[in-house]
Amino acid sequence: MTLTLGSPATKRDILLVEDNPDDVVLTLRALKKNNIVNEVVVATDGAEALDRLFAQGAYAGGTLLPAVVLLDLKLPKIDGLEVLRRLRADPRTKRLPVVILTSSREEQDILRGYNLGANSYVRKPVDFTEFVDAVKNLGLYWLVLNEPPPGT
Amino acid sequence: MSAAHAASVSAVGDGGPVDARSYASAILNILEDAAVEKARQAATQYAILNILEDAAEEKVRLAGTQRAILNILEDAAEEKARLADTQHAVLNILDDFDIEKKNVEDVNVELRNENARRARVEVALRDATSAAEAASRELETFSYSVSHDLRSPLRAIDGFSQALSEDSADRLDGQGRAYLERIRAGVQRMAQLIDDLLQLAGVTRAEMRYETVDLSALARDVVGELRQVEPGRGVEVLVADGLAGEGDPRLLRVAIANLLGNAWKFTRPREAARIEFGATTQEGTTTYFVRDNGVGFDMTYADKLFGAFQRLHSGAEFEGTGIGLATVRRVIARHGGRTWAAGGVGSGATFSFTLAHGEELPT
Repeated sequence: MTLTLGSPATKRDILLVEDNPDDVVLTLRALKKNNIVNEVVVATDGAEALDRLFAQGAYAGGTLLPAVVLLDLKLPKIDGLEVLRRLRADPRTKRLPVVILTSSREEQDILRGYNLGANSYVRKPVDFTEFVDAVKNLGLYWLVLNEPPPGT
Repeated sequence: MSAAHAASVSAVGDGGPVDARSYASAILNILEDAAVEKARQAATQYAILNILEDAAEEKVRLAGTQRAILNILEDAAEEKARLADTQHAVLNILDDFDIEKKNVEDVNVELRNENARRARVEVALRDATSAAEAASRELETFSYSVSHDLRSPLRAIDGFSQALSEDSADRLDGQGRAYLERIRAGVQRMAQLIDDLLQLAGVTRAEMRYETVDLSALARDVVGELRQVEPGRGVEVLVADGLAGEGDPRLLRVAIANLLGNAWKFTRPREAARIEFGATTQEGTTTYFVRDNGVGFDMTYADKLFGAFQRLHSGAEFEGTGIGLATVRRVIARHGGRTWAAGGVGSGATFSFTLAHGEELPT
């Protein structure tokens, strides 16, 4: 995280909140296959994600917010929905783009995700080819097309 | 008598003319005595007659009394008979009362048994309800966990199989790559199974939201999706206009998507595939049907079709998990309707269902 305030999203980091190492490797591979070169920071549980985003605990001292948070739901310590709730409750991260990227297509997850202010909800497809496509679309949208809210 | 005896004694003592007068006087005395005697006898006779008369009267009175007594006795006998009848009746009543009492006791025993039975049923019901609630919660947790956790390893298998075939392509021969394709195909089937099972479980636990659903529009939407997935297929699809039903729109979509999806799949070998979605109404009950001219099925297995994991075709012939029709049946059952199938090998199939409150949309 070496970016400065006001950097375009294409240059900012991606925060991947994911506890499954296989999924981490596959997500990185999918990003690479789509030529997305943004640095990817991985948080392996909800608490670490919050520490990084709020520049607290082990990550005190701070860095810039990422262009987008790819958030899994089932996470150790603090689950994804709770991470989202806390992000939305804090003025610093209220408008931070958060994409829920998860295995579940459970209606309750989708509804709660949106109710808590997720910007989108993407179900990780089992088929890796489809997953690569999904990541490509995500990257294109959140890193290229989307204008991040000012002050994030 | 004593006077006559005295005269006789004098005559023997005296003898002479004096004796003659004495004799006459004696006879007169005797006659006088006789007259007195006669009068006495008459009086006695009279008295006896009186007595006899009195006795006759007495006898009449006695006869009367006797009659009266007989009457009384007769009355008493009748009374006795009446009393006996009454007693008999009372005994009968007492008998009846005993029977009645026994009946009441029996009924009481039955009631007590019934109460005990009800109490047991209530307890069983409470147990069953809490067990059902626990099972439902467990299913919820299970589904949630399956949804989240069971797919991740599949993603890993698929992703790394593909990574292997890409990154190590030069070290893999045709067979090696074919094996990797088989691995990936297996992963897809497994993923489909998980999704279908989750859908089946979801149908069971979903809360019903009743509204009037435009089934014609719903069916056209599903057909649109099918055409998008397989744009190359020229299937003639006829959806009747104005079909409506009272039900949960999401669940009805699941049912109709499964039925149309099946029809779409099993008409694949047909040059001129044809699918129809329509309804007939008989005696106020609307029967909806999805009919196709596909490969059909043997009616022997008509009911087996609706069981979970029941398949009449191999995966090589037609893909599928065998959960679709079980899901359809459960959706329709949750609406209080029925599902059934008709068809023949090679002559297409018709799947029908009813909804509890089917009705036509006003056009």
